[in-house]
Amino acid sequence: MAAIEVQGLRKSYGATEVLRGIDFEVQANEVFGFLGPNGAGKTTTIEILEGYRERSSGEVSVLGADPGRPTRAWRERIGLVLQQCELNPLLTVAETLALFSSFYPSPRPVDETLDLVGLGDRRDSRVAALSGGQRRRLDVAVALVGDPQLLFLDEPTTGFDPSARRGAWNMIERLKELGKTIFLTTHYMDEAQQLSDRVAIIRDGEIVALGPPSELAAAGEAETVVSFRLPNGTPIAALRANVDAPIRTTGGLVSLRATNPQHTLYQLTSWAEREGIQLVGLQANRPGLEDVFLELTGDGHHG
Amino acid sequence: MADLRLALTQARYALVTSFRNPRTVVFQMAFPVILLILFNSIFTQGADETVRFSGGRITAAAYFTAGLAAYAIALSTFTNLAIGLTMQRETGQLKRLRGTPMPSWTFVAGQLMRSSVLVLIMVVALLAIGVIAFGVDLPAEHLVGLLVYVALGTATFAALGMAVTVVTTTVDSASTIGPFAVVMLSFISGVFISVDNLPNWLETVGKVFPLYHLADGLQTCLASGVGGTGLDASNVGVLAVWGLIGVSIAVRRFHWEPQAAPA
Repeated sequence: MAAIEVQGLRKSYGATEVLRGIDFEVQANEVFGFLGPNGAGKTTTIEILEGYRERSSGEVSVLGADPGRPTRAWRERIGLVLQQCELNPLLTVAETLALFSSFYPSPRPVDETLDLVGLGDRRDSRVAALSGGQRRRLDVAVALVGDPQLLFLDEPTTGFDPSARRGAWNMIERLKELGKTIFLTTHYMDEAQQLSDRVAIIRDGEIVALGPPSELAAAGEAETVVSFRLPNGTPIAALRANVDAPIRTTGGLVSLRATNPQHTLYQLTSWAEREGIQLVGLQANRPGLEDVFLELTGDGHHG
Repeated sequence: MADLRLALTQARYALVTSFRNPRTVVFQMAFPVILLILFNSIFTQGADETVRFSGGRITAAAYFTAGLAAYAIALSTFTNLAIGLTMQRETGQLKRLRGTPMPSWTFVAGQLMRSSVLVLIMVVALLAIGVIAFGVDLPAEHLVGLLVYVALGTATFAALGMAVTVVTTTVDSASTIGPFAVVMLSFISGVFISVDNLPNWLETVGKVFPLYHLADGLQTCLASGVGGTGLDASNVGVLAVWGLIGVSIAVRRFHWEPQAAPA
């Protein structure tokens, strides 16, 4: 059975329709990435699924129950990492988890949960003394301490430095190994691509793409980017005369946007070989999730 | 029963939080004690000095001891809850709690238990200082009345503290209104200044609000040989009406999610 089922979900605030009929399913033990620009309806959707908001119409089932009427037994089975929700700064890390674990019938042990998020060595620190990344990990620990089946992670790594994000990714992968279902929103496309089994992209209250990140990227219209550096003094005009893909230069870096990468690379490399030019750092990058996301949600689509 | 334990667990962590919060310890706990010692040292020239109050005359030391007990009760309940709940709401702590299986009544019960424990500590401490250092009497016939006023005052000011969070949409506004209301009322309720020294119209204004009646009730209970049980219908009545107003607003309008517009 699917962990989350959404059919024809609509939500209006007054005359403004924020969600205009969205459909998707999240399977058990799936990591589902939910992406979209600010104001697209991401937070409204996640808050309806979490039981914070009422929907205007549509069918929604989360772990087999209607989140519009949250019950205690249902809340015992889900864990939430919300945006901009602080914890009591005057309690210690271990006290915070002990408090939240008291709400659940069969919680995970506090110390084991702290080790899982990598906060075992900070158990007696006050929450106020934690760094931003450590607080976010404590948020995740609070969501996990009830041993939920389904986790909502709303921008869990915002504000992390690169190594903290890497650590969070490892943690999310471990949660999947533990059999959890994870509903993830993020602004980082590399994160969504790395972690998600499938992603949905929402724009203006409608889902505009849904599928595994690699399939979405391959199906997108975004061009392959061929980039390299030219030796000093090589005129761009000579390149332009031999390659028909659009050229952009930023600093010393040249990039070509190739709709047919095989043809463009052939034109480029045969010209370089002929002229004895060394193309420094030559690489061809297939479009990633980020390119697809920008293509689907970029400026051209607003208004 | 299991849910009662949930409320107790939350009360325990709320108390731990209060004792770690310098604002609570200094402003709500140390300050009334310091004021008691100052007032009883400055305003009372001798044990014979008496002050007029609704039930007759009372020693100045007993008058200020009872008044500052009322003041401490209001700080530990009204001010403490107004600031604490607004802060927890605006930082998203209440929203997060709402997303757990914890029944919301256990949270409210935990907050009330925390305030009640603070009230007990303060009332016992202030009365002990009054009796030991300033020769205040605790008439046995008024003990039940004293307990009733402490309990009713705690309930009334706690309800008003929860109700006022409806209008305090930011931590700044709660940190202003919470203490300001109690301090201002203390000047016209027989807490900082005896009502003897107030012009009639100002005393009339004071009588509208509950702090006057909590102070007057506690003062009656510390006066030997007046007021029967110490309980007075108008004091009990005004406190109860304010308490019911607070409860009806809090029950209908209390919010769990941040109220300030997001930045």
